[in-house]
Amino acid sequence: MSFGSPYTTLPDFEYHKASGVDEVIRLLKQYGEEAEVMAGGVGLMAFMKERLLSPGHLIDIKDVKELRQIVYARGKGLSIGAAVTIEEVAANQDVKARFQALHEAASKTADPMIRARATLVGNLCEAIPWVDSPPVLMALDASVEIAGSGGRRNIPVTGFIKGPVDVDLGPDEFVTRIEVPDQTGRSAFEKFTGGSEFALASVAVSITSDGGRRKARVIFGSVNSTPVRCLEAEQVLQESELSQPTIRRAAEVASEKVECVSDVLANADYRKHLVRVITTKALARLIQS
Amino acid sequence: MRECAVKVNGVIRRDMIKDNELLLDFLRDKLEVRSVKAACWRGECGLCTVQMNGRLVKSCLVLAVEANGGDVKTVEGLAENGELVPIQKAFIEHGASQCGFCTPAWVLASHDLLKKNPDPSDANIEEAVAGLLCRCGTYAQIKEAIHSVSQSGSKQPLKQLVKGVG
Repeated sequence: MSFGSPYTTLPDFEYHKASGVDEVIRLLKQYGEEAEVMAGGVGLMAFMKERLLSPGHLIDIKDVKELRQIVYARGKGLSIGAAVTIEEVAANQDVKARFQALHEAASKTADPMIRARATLVGNLCEAIPWVDSPPVLMALDASVEIAGSGGRRNIPVTGFIKGPVDVDLGPDEFVTRIEVPDQTGRSAFEKFTGGSEFALASVAVSITSDGGRRKARVIFGSVNSTPVRCLEAEQVLQESELSQPTIRRAAEVASEKVECVSDVLANADYRKHLVRVITTKALARLIQS
Repeated sequence: MRECAVKVNGVIRRDMIKDNELLLDFLRDKLEVRSVKAACWRGECGLCTVQMNGRLVKSCLVLAVEANGGDVKTVEGLAENGELVPIQKAFIEHGASQCGFCTPAWVLASHDLLKKNPDPSDANIEEAVAGLLCRCGTYAQIKEAIHSVSQSGSKQPLKQLVKGVG
C-alpha cells in the first residue's frame, strides 16, 4: 500500500532494458543527465525514494552478458563486471583464495537478500562514506573501466572517488568493470557496525612483496567523508618485522593519525578508538594466515 | 503504462503497470496478495520478502516490470493441497508468531533456508534471516521452530527442544 508519500514511491521514469554495452552508451548519449544506469538498483532506488535522484530514464544493465562476468586470470588479476552481484563476488573461489579482503567485505555486506541483488560496482559508484567496497578496492590497487561515447578509459579507484557521493563519471559514461591486479600477498578486511546497517569504521589492509620489498596498504572507510589512507601505519608495516608489537604500533599510529569525523553514527573519539581495534584485528588475522 | 504478466503462486496474473511501480505495490495493491507486507520500503525490514524466479527478494527493492514474465511465490503458495508445510506447522507449535505481521516473510525465509540446508546451525539460521526484523522479538521461537523441522531436530521430541514446556 502506498500513501502517495514521496518516501515510499519512486519518481516517474521510463524503463529501458539494455541488451549490450553499445545500447547502454547509445541510451546514455541520447538522454545524458536525464538517465541513470541501474544494475541491482538497491542504492539507486533508496536515493530515488528520498528524491535525491529523479532520473527520467532508467537503463537496466542486469542482463548485459559482458557485464555479468567475473573472471580471474593468473598474472593478470580479477575482472568484475558491473552486473556481478555482491553474492557472486563472495561465493567466487578465486576471490576467496587470493583477494581475502574483498571476500571478507562482500560476505559481510548487508544481508543475503541484498547481496543477491546489489552489485559491487553499484556499491562503489554509490560512494557514500559508509559503504565497504571503496577501502577494500583501494587497498588492492583496483581500477575501474569506464565506457562512454568517447570510448573506454581506465582509472584507479583512488582517483575515481572524488568526494562523498561523487565519482569521476561523465553524463554519457558508466562503469563496465572493476579490475583488480593479481595479488602476491595477503589482505584482510574488518569493520565495526555495532548493530547499525552501516559500519562506524572499517579497514582494509594488504601486504604484498614488491620485488623483494614489502608493500603495505592501510585504508579506512566510514571514518570520514571519503576513504582515508594511512601512510604512517603503512610505513610501520613496511619497515618492521611483522609481529604482535609491530601490529600494535601500526594500530596506534593509525588511531593517532587517521582523521575521523563526528556524525550521527559515532563521534570522532569513538571512531579513533575503533580504528585501533579493527586495525589490530585485521592485521592479526593477516599475519596468522 | 504497460502490461505486466506475472505467475503468482502458479496462476498467471495480468495488470497494467507504470515503469516506476514497485513489485511490492503491484502485488499488494493491484493483485491483492496481502501476505506481502509493506513497512519500511527501504529494504531494511524484509517484510515484503517474496520468492522471485526461485530466489528470495525484498519486493520493495524490485520494479514490477522486472518481474514481468517471471514467477513469484508468496506464503499463500506454500501449502500443498490445503495442508500446511512442516515449517508452517512448526511456527504454530512453537509460538513463533506474536502479532503475525512479519510471519509470512519469516516462513518464506525459513522454508527457503531448510530447502538449501536441511540441518542448519544457529549461525546458519542467523545468517539466513539477517535481512528480516520482528518487532515482537520472537527470534528465539523462530529458531526453535526451524530446528524442530530440521533433519536432526525432527528426530527429537518437542519437549527436549523447548525448555520449561511439558
